[in-house]
Amino acid sequence: MFEVIILIIALIISLIIVIKAADVFVDSIVEIGLALGISEIILGVTAAAVGTSLPEFGSAMIAILTGSPDVGVGCAIGANIWNIAGILGISAIFAGLITTRRQEVRRDGLMAILTTLTITAALFFIGEISFVVGVVLIIMYALYLWVLIRAQKSSKESEMKYYEDEKKRNLGKKTILMAVMGLVGLAIGCRAIVYCTVELSIMASIPEVLAGILLAFGTTAPEFFTVLTSAKKGLNSLAIGTVFGSNIFNILIGLGIPSLFTVIPVEPITIYFDAPVMVFITLLLLFLIKRGMKLTRVEGVILVASYIVYIVTRLYFF
Amino acid sequence: MYDKILLTTMGEYMDEIIEHTLNLIQGDVELICIYVVETSVPFLTPKKVKEMMIDELKAKGKEILEDMAKGFDKPGITFRGLMVEGNPADEIVKTATNEDVDVIVMGTGKSIVDKHLLGSVSEKVVHSAPCTILLVRTAS
Repeated sequence: MFEVIILIIALIISLIIVIKAADVFVDSIVEIGLALGISEIILGVTAAAVGTSLPEFGSAMIAILTGSPDVGVGCAIGANIWNIAGILGISAIFAGLITTRRQEVRRDGLMAILTTLTITAALFFIGEISFVVGVVLIIMYALYLWVLIRAQKSSKESEMKYYEDEKKRNLGKKTILMAVMGLVGLAIGCRAIVYCTVELSIMASIPEVLAGILLAFGTTAPEFFTVLTSAKKGLNSLAIGTVFGSNIFNILIGLGIPSLFTVIPVEPITIYFDAPVMVFITLLLLFLIKRGMKLTRVEGVILVASYIVYIVTRLYFF
Repeated sequence: MYDKILLTTMGEYMDEIIEHTLNLIQGDVELICIYVVETSVPFLTPKKVKEMMIDELKAKGKEILEDMAKGFDKPGITFRGLMVEGNPADEIVKTATNEDVDVIVMGTGKSIVDKHLLGSVSEKVVHSAPCTILLVRTAS
């Protein structure tokens, strides 16, 4: 029992370290990018897309590369289901109403469903995430990023001058040091997270995939606070955009990058249950949003109820 | 008769708030419209996201204040838009005190569920305001 408590405390501390390290790393990378003359629009879009998802990415990457691929896959797919059904559902319940714009649903929503369908189809037909699948996923993400940057550039034409003026900042040693420290913090934190998760799953006698799915509660903390706070402040585009952006990143990069280094084996339960649930939840969100471009409190309850049904089924029937 | 009015808005139910404020005005009046950018975020919110939120809230506030200025573009009304950062209730009370206003006009009428889940700025202001308050019932 004492060992379990120690592991849970270590897991929570590691999660906080990872989330804060990701924050420092993204900030420093943006500074370095600016100093190198990269457009702030490109950096801003990438930082927003990557920022909240680094804990899932790091955990999935380390888990897959250190011989616990089930934790990594579970974490990526579990995070996607939780992001929509849990985080967006809870945020809609609290805020009462989350609205969105048609063009954002068309772009980000379409990409989210395309992403989930691609990975689910790949798992159905190949049964694992191979190098080729990884390359396809990464190309899809690069194309999506290009579309995002193009959209951002056209909508912020007037602010371009400001960004141009801001370009080419001096690159200080402190910024590079912070980037390195952020990366080291991320790596150590993620390694500790994976270790604690695997050990806890052995002690609780639960499969590693399920442990990964449960781990997603922790790694998605930045998304949770971002979406909930945005919804409460009425920044609806940010709320729904964060969820779609994170879900696209978790699959295309979270599973795409590690698959370049090693073939990722996937459990049949994930192929035939978790991945289809992820597709269903994404479709459910799009269906609910499409009716009036908004998510009401009742629809939030529907999403949360879907998550409860999923996790209870997962815990007790498989 | 009120000479100096503080109007608070978050961008919702602006027409009702403008209508009730105009009903209060009987002669020349100085109207301060305040929009508070709430900067607080939970501990684990990424820094970049916080910056993005503040930028978006400021852009939203600017639009709202411009719309409000149009709504009060009438003879005898001196309109002043004010955007501040901080806790909405605290900032409204602080501005009312510093500007020595005669009345604060604000919207209210959230449902009980919303009040519990989101909190109520008007309830907090009522308890510490230095002047009269007109609460405009805005919820449908």
